[in-house]
Amino acid sequence: MVGLGDLERDVMARLWDAGQPLTVRQVHERLSPERDLAYTTVMTVLDRLAKKGVVRQERADRAYRYAPTQTREEMTAALMLEALGATPDGAARDAALVHFVGRVGPEGAAALRAALDRTARGSLP
Amino acid sequence: MTALLLGALGLALSRFVPPALARARWTSREPRAAIVLWQAVTLASVLSAIGVVLAAPEEYVRARGAGPLGAEWILLGALAVAGFIVARLLAALVAVTGGSRRRRARHRMLVDLLDRAEQHGDVEGHLPAGSLRVLDGEVPFAYCLPGRSPRVVVSGGALRALTREELAAVLDHEHAHLRARHDLVLEAFAAVHRAVPRPLRSRTALDAVHLLLEMAADDAARRHHGDQPLRGALATMGGAVAAPPEAAGTGRDAERERLRRLDRLSPGAPRPSRAAGAAMCALAAAVLLLPTVALVLPWLLQARAGWPL
Ligand SMILES: [Zn+2]
Repeated sequence: MVGLGDLERDVMARLWDAGQPLTVRQVHERLSPERDLAYTTVMTVLDRLAKKGVVRQERADRAYRYAPTQTREEMTAALMLEALGATPDGAARDAALVHFVGRVGPEGAAALRAALDRTARGSLP
Repeated sequence: MTALLLGALGLALSRFVPPALARARWTSREPRAAIVLWQAVTLASVLSAIGVVLAAPEEYVRARGAGPLGAEWILLGALAVAGFIVARLLAALVAVTGGSRRRRARHRMLVDLLDRAEQHGDVEGHLPAGSLRVLDGEVPFAYCLPGRSPRVVVSGGALRALTREELAAVLDHEHAHLRARHDLVLEAFAAVHRAVPRPLRSRTALDAVHLLLEMAADDAARRHHGDQPLRGALATMGGAVAAPPEAAGTGRDAERERLRRLDRLSPGAPRPSRAAGAAMCALAAAVLLLPTVALVLPWLLQARAGWPL
């Protein structure tokens, strides 16, 4: 039994790997080798992801296609900046997450962002 | 007189004690007791403020008479102001906890989607089942999302840069945050911070408690793994993200925090001590009890004798 969370993660991974918007059928095909899924299940999952704002639905050639709203790298970088306290909104953020090494603050965010960009391009040692 | 003394006490506890306490090194001998001391100091300063609001009008009326307004109305006004202070604190608590619940829920949703489950390997063993998440990226980092459905997040870079022992110590450190609900402690201080009028706000207590919570989690981890793996992990991870050379302000603070944590893990550093912990707890009790016994109780007895309502 695979949870809905795992399924959502796998669908996102297929969309990110594709690099272009996919139809429900295409997502279904790409998942089929590994798991036995109903077409409607894939549709439901894509719908949920769209409601969460991580997937965009677009209509082209009488078929709906789905694409991630951000690349995997962008989304990862945003989370990491938030985790390090580099988001600029008040004291509440300090209580939301607990981390192993420090906060960076808005001043350090730019430097960190640059470091993340370098990482994304694979040039960090 | 009571109002004046309580005012002086409140001022000392909110303005002068926090910077001194934040600078003090003896607090890191027993971080959990030091957090109790911070809680006592903060609570006592809030109670002093409420005490001033109640005692000042009462003492004024007793000394000078109520004048045309009537003692009842002056004292009711004082009660209303005290009620407002309490309401403001509660509102801040609701805002802070609500805000961090929402932020965590969204963060958790995204972390679940980005997870590289195939990289979990055998590192999950130390953590609550199903709580580990691995994110892409070479920058080594680790943090946790507290709450009813907690997550411990590490980067692929951390999995590669840390040794097995270092990684186990880091995961234990995060697990300690989750187990001891350090998030609740931090939320309470964040709420007080938010409730203080903006011009008087200071991050001193919040930052000091944050560092002490990190030390407390370090202590939990070093009990199982010793000092060395934690020190190694702090060196590796801090070097990579905590303080980019261009970072000013809080970036430097983060670096200072890391150095203080490294300091107390170094071979010659004083060990955590039960005596220091007991002394700090006694101090915490004194901060709350002494003003109550010496100032508030005598005033209450006196005020009750002349209470007009
Ligand atoms: Zn920590």
